[in-house]
Amino acid sequence: MPILEMKDICKSFSGVYANDHISLSAEKGKISALLGENGAGKTTLVNILFGIYTADCGQILWRGKPVNFSSPKDAIDAGIGMVQQHFSLVQKMTVLDNIILNLSGNRFFLDRAAAEKRIVHLAEKYGLRINPKARVCDLSVGEQQRVEILKALFRDVELLILDEPTGVLTPQETAHFFEVLRNLKNEGYAIIIITHRMSEIMAISDQVTILRDGKKIIDLVTAQTNPSELSRYMIGRELKENYEIASSAAGGDLLILDQVSLNRKGKTHPLHDISLHVRRGEILGVAGVEGNGQKELAEVITGIQKGYSGSVFLDGRCTNKESVRKRYENGVAYISDDRHRDSLVTDMNLTENLMLREYCCEPYSRSGIINPKAMLLNANRMMDEYQIRASGKSGAATAVKLMSGGNQQKLIIARELTVDAKLIVASQPTRGLDIGATEFVRNLLVSQRNEGKGVLLISADLEEIMALSDRIAVMFGGRIAGILNREDATVEKIGLLMGGVTGKEVEQPC
Amino acid sequence: MLTNRYQGLWNVLKILAITLAVSTGLILACGASPFEAYALFVRGIFGSFSSFAEIFVKACPLILTSLGCAIAFRTGFFNIGAEGQFYVGAMATTIVALYLPDVPGFIRIALALVAGFLCGGLWALLAAFFKARFNISEIIVTIMLNYIAINFLGYAVRTFLMDPAGNVPQSAKIAVEAQLPNLINSTRFHAGIVIAVFCVLVVWFLIEKTTVGYELKAVGLNQRAAACNGISVMKNIILSAFLSGGLAALAGGIEVLAIQKKLMESISANCGYTAVLIALIAGNNPLAVLAVAILYAAMQIGANSMQRQLGVPSAIVNIIIGAVVLLILGKELLSSQRKKQADVQCN
Amino acid sequence: MLNQILSIGFITAFLSAAVRLAVPLMYAGLGETISEKTGILNIGMEGVMLSGAFFSFAGAWFSGSLLIGVLCGMLGGALITTVHSVFTIKLAKDQSVTGLAINMVVLGLTSFLFKLMSTGQSYQQINTLQTFPIPLLSRFPVVGEVFFNRDILTYVLYLLLIALFVFYKRTNIGLSFASIGENPRAAASAGVPVHRYQWIAMLFNGLLGGIGGAYLVLVQLGVFTENMTSGRGYIALATVILGRYTPFGMFGAALLFGAANAMQIRLQTIGVSISPFLLAILPYAITLVAMLTAIGKTTQPDSLGKPYIKGSR
Repeated sequence: MPILEMKDICKSFSGVYANDHISLSAEKGKISALLGENGAGKTTLVNILFGIYTADCGQILWRGKPVNFSSPKDAIDAGIGMVQQHFSLVQKMTVLDNIILNLSGNRFFLDRAAAEKRIVHLAEKYGLRINPKARVCDLSVGEQQRVEILKALFRDVELLILDEPTGVLTPQETAHFFEVLRNLKNEGYAIIIITHRMSEIMAISDQVTILRDGKKIIDLVTAQTNPSELSRYMIGRELKENYEIASSAAGGDLLILDQVSLNRKGKTHPLHDISLHVRRGEILGVAGVEGNGQKELAEVITGIQKGYSGSVFLDGRCTNKESVRKRYENGVAYISDDRHRDSLVTDMNLTENLMLREYCCEPYSRSGIINPKAMLLNANRMMDEYQIRASGKSGAATAVKLMSGGNQQKLIIARELTVDAKLIVASQPTRGLDIGATEFVRNLLVSQRNEGKGVLLISADLEEIMALSDRIAVMFGGRIAGILNREDATVEKIGLLMGGVTGKEVEQPC
Repeated sequence: MLTNRYQGLWNVLKILAITLAVSTGLILACGASPFEAYALFVRGIFGSFSSFAEIFVKACPLILTSLGCAIAFRTGFFNIGAEGQFYVGAMATTIVALYLPDVPGFIRIALALVAGFLCGGLWALLAAFFKARFNISEIIVTIMLNYIAINFLGYAVRTFLMDPAGNVPQSAKIAVEAQLPNLINSTRFHAGIVIAVFCVLVVWFLIEKTTVGYELKAVGLNQRAAACNGISVMKNIILSAFLSGGLAALAGGIEVLAIQKKLMESISANCGYTAVLIALIAGNNPLAVLAVAILYAAMQIGANSMQRQLGVPSAIVNIIIGAVVLLILGKELLSSQRKKQADVQCN
Repeated sequence: MLNQILSIGFITAFLSAAVRLAVPLMYAGLGETISEKTGILNIGMEGVMLSGAFFSFAGAWFSGSLLIGVLCGMLGGALITTVHSVFTIKLAKDQSVTGLAINMVVLGLTSFLFKLMSTGQSYQQINTLQTFPIPLLSRFPVVGEVFFNRDILTYVLYLLLIALFVFYKRTNIGLSFASIGENPRAAASAGVPVHRYQWIAMLFNGLLGGIGGAYLVLVQLGVFTENMTSGRGYIALATVILGRYTPFGMFGAALLFGAANAMQIRLQTIGVSISPFLLAILPYAITLVAMLTAIGKTTQPDSLGKPYIKGSR
């Protein structure tokens, strides 16, 4: 009998179903994989199990009895542990202290010696090499993950949930991690692993559950399936819309990245030897599950992220030493995926935000004195041209924070797409927009391309990528997993690349 | 349903009402009659021409220091060091005023004040440098720098700046030509006040009408977005710190040249810390700073009058200004519409 | 002159004065350490101490008992931190703004109330706490006289220092408290009640800071004067930094400030020409340098000064 059964779990946020009648089960001594794209509902599902959210409807049976956890602590006390994508570790404390922090069984005076013995024992048993006395901040990311796992094991959990565990590991660490999982499985732990990586699923899991758009698509037995099938189920739809893509009239190289690498530091994902090029009059789509280095790629090109090795060339000129402003002046426009953090000052109004790039240029200012009339003129013109609607009667003086997401995006586009823009870096440009705004943005990108500009379109929306791109690059683990031409690109191929499966691995499923 | 504008006005009225209630309560606790007290308060301010003029005399250092704080806060640089910058400016101004005897008066004043401004700006720059380069919080650093400056002044007026003619810890008297002239007889209204108001206008112009002000505003509101759009965050923090320290230092210099006419300890009357609160109440707006500083100075004078005649301690002013900041800070406590705790799980 | 300085008598008297002057800082520093380790920077410590000073004086004066005075001082301090907590914990507002506003209010309030108390009367001093030596320990040369011939509050301080040291190093709750200041989200996911512990920490901050202020009145001066803390609350913040957020480190740092203070007075009595003001600058300059060297391997709690909002990521 399965130790865990989730039946018909529903959860909606603001009227949108994140989980729509999803059922999932896990058994002792087995590893279940949970597969799906961004936004499929995987994390929501396990967060419900772990007590972070409450399900709207459905039932959870743990060890055969119905349960309803209201906090992570309840879940842990019941025997469910989770290692999340972002670790919950106190950096300055030792491994030991992190593991025994606020443990139910702790006495008033901590018995660190006994705890250390037990940790070492657990570590050896499952192959989790760690020094209990080390401070977490001195550990590598892979080692920190081991601490997270030990935290759960120390609390005598029976089910272990891992959310995208190998995203932060090197290939060697990953192999070692699989060893650990096998040990745990043999010892009788039930394991759920959330991942978008095909190789992982094929290598380690016993069964796979695939989610898409909040619904469960299918349960499969790993031994009886293969990456292609998985990929098909994961993405699984025919793409309908077609945009006016004039046949490839691409010109010379506009943007060239040559062996660009970035080290991991804090929250940034590393980049490994990225080489790609974008031509004039072409849209290069960059597909991939978020968190594989796309943001870092965009920031390297626009100049926000410094300290990378390798070179970025624009129009044949090396831009490595150029500031963000210089690159903009040379034609790099940027539509960021996080407009509230990166692109807009939401407490300023529409007019002021439109000026964030050009406030120091004629005619908007002269010798440092601002020309509000010119700014207003520009604002009104932009509002007309791009149909930017500001709520309320203040018009061009509306505070940006009051505007809808779609109109905010139009504002950014109006600002960035000047006559001088040559390369447009657009990152998740239609995310969170309604249909009308989405159409608008996509048509705009295509028209820019038709006018001979180069577009780097980063998107987790495969439909968008496939509809708009002349060529498609897929990012995985900080690398370019592959680049396909429009004609050769199939959903399956892209899905495989997104899951980290390159040509070789497709032939050898295990 | 109240619109946003009326909601804001309603909040202001509520704060005023509470403030009035608190002060009335305090006056009653003294065993004094509130009517008498408020009458004395008003008479203390408007009763005579000289006392009315005194408002501006008292307001002058507050205006400049608060202005400096306002600029810094706008850019996200929490400058608590106005006190120390004040003294640095006072010292630098005194030194230049005392040791350039052959320069004509007007120029001497100008040079002395500029020297004060520059030194105060550099003093604040020290804290900004710590922050920009090493990301060390400027709050503690500026407070430490305050004490260093205050103690150094104590050292200076007992050693190299000490008036050789006397035995008291103060500098020699500043020559009459180098003093800021009095503008209205029978009052203490001096030229420094004009300088202060002029600074308010300059700062207002800078913030509202120039690209510098635009950048400062952007950096203060969303540092990351400013950086992503090509605006240099470090440059702006440093600039705002420099201006902030310079203005506070100017206040110190003017206090020396116009009122004290010599350098000695404790001439700031704690205005450095009051300035922080004034800037906060004024929402970092230069014109509002002018208004609030003048209001506060008027309150001080009215309260002094209440103390003289009725024995209501003038410390009531400190209570009021601190309470106002807290009331503004905690305005959710005032409004009956609490923001419903959104289901935090839906993030 | 050098002979004079290096004589045992001078050194003992000097160190003794240093400890005496440092005790208020140490109490405040202890309270501040507790709150900062849960992530709350209490700039209002100045107000806490001043409140403790005033209420201890009022309590001792009206009741005639020094014990009541101490208790009133503690309550006075706790009252201030409760207000602070409402703004910084419950409403999650900016801690520095709250602290500065509170300092101003307390300055006004204590001056106000003191003036009310003293209308017409000139105060006689209240009797201050006496010192008494600890039997064996006070026999040690220099150290015995300096550390073990003091008043009861100083001895209580020593005990508190040891207790707090043990608390953070060896107890389960202490570990939980310390984790909050570093990573409140991690603490919360381990089941630590973050806000509740922050309230408790701030309560102790107020109680101890209140004793620090009370010490100025009940041991050092015997009277209350307006604004008598003169920035000691801010210095307490510096001692916590210099002391690297540990109880005994704070002890040493406070001693440094006390020593600079004591040196001022001592040097004047033997006519030495090093300006006491330059000496006074020294501890502040050292603090700044210490902050500089702390970069790279900073000991400041990672989440210090950041309000924790439940449930947000």
